[in-house]
Amino acid sequence: MRMFRNLKIIVFLVLLIGVFVALNLTGFAKNIKNFFYSFSAPVQKTFWQVGKNTSDFLGGILEINTIKKELDFLRAENQELLSEIVVLKELKKENETLREGLNMELQKDFKLEIVQVISKDISQDSILINKGQKEGIVKGMPVITSQKVLWGRIGEVYNDFSEVILISNKQSSFDAKISDKEVFGVVRGKGNQELYLDLIPKEKEVAKEDLVIATALGGIFPQGLLVGKVKDVRRTDIEPFQTAEIEPQFDLKNLNYLFIITDF
Amino acid sequence: MVRKIIFCFVFFYVLLMIQTSFLVCFKIWGMVPNLVLIAVVLISLLSQNQLLGMGSALIGGFYLDVFSLSTIGFFGFYTLILLLFSIIARIILQKYVRIPLFKRI
Repeated sequence: MRMFRNLKIIVFLVLLIGVFVALNLTGFAKNIKNFFYSFSAPVQKTFWQVGKNTSDFLGGILEINTIKKELDFLRAENQELLSEIVVLKELKKENETLREGLNMELQKDFKLEIVQVISKDISQDSILINKGQKEGIVKGMPVITSQKVLWGRIGEVYNDFSEVILISNKQSSFDAKISDKEVFGVVRGKGNQELYLDLIPKEKEVAKEDLVIATALGGIFPQGLLVGKVKDVRRTDIEPFQTAEIEPQFDLKNLNYLFIITDF
Repeated sequence: MVRKIIFCFVFFYVLLMIQTSFLVCFKIWGMVPNLVLIAVVLISLLSQNQLLGMGSALIGGFYLDVFSLSTIGFFGFYTLILLLFSIIARIILQKYVRIPLFKRI
């Protein structure tokens, strides 16, 4: 009797594996996922909004001291940035005049598609957005914010939804450079919303707070998208390259809309 | 039994919704508890009925496969792992564990 029962379980398991292999090979698994996402999206949106509001409220109470300090810091930083803006405006004018003078073609703007975030999978460093194949979304398209902060690129694409692989995902790596310096490297994801700049030549000078921007070198992302700030630099005598920890500029908590670059 | 399975369908769905959309806002040290996984493990260990343990593993695993993104790229990964866990846990409990706790809950 027990033998017969065990046999039934084994047969059931083998059949199940067969079904899953078939689902993966035929791509029907994507349709199943799309079906579930379709009717879960409104529920997830509601839960998301409630979670965000509750988290903001609780976070505000728990972190009041930190917020005060941060406010002071941001006020000081704001002053600095305002003065920088004035300088940059002057530089912009100068640049425009130079471009006209050289008869250069201005860089075309990206073609963008606005998307809403439906859910996140923090453990996998990926998020789900509400547009997919039907809207012309294709695997590999870069995802940014309105401030041109790089979030990641499109992974799996379903009919009405797409998965975004964040730049902090372990699968993610792309070419980047330090802003205003000729220091190039490769940004790699470490998981858990952490990333680092690898393969920086040892002789190059990298400092904390340096801005890291994406380059068009690998053809993955367009030039100039903001990746993050250098948090820490590690240099050893043994290794030929140095690495820098990067503080990503994307904020998973305060996020609703993103943009997909459909053409660049 | 059918009622319990239907309950599992609804219960795991609600857990998954909470896990993927609500709890992500409250991550502690960058982690979010996998409620479905915890529930399946508890049901497999504490339930007297093997069929219920396997059923919950099957449903929970299926939902995890649907709502988890990029799990080594194989749809069915969680279902198979949880089902195997449920079967192995049952065998170990039946053969080697003699604690009243596992006999009647």
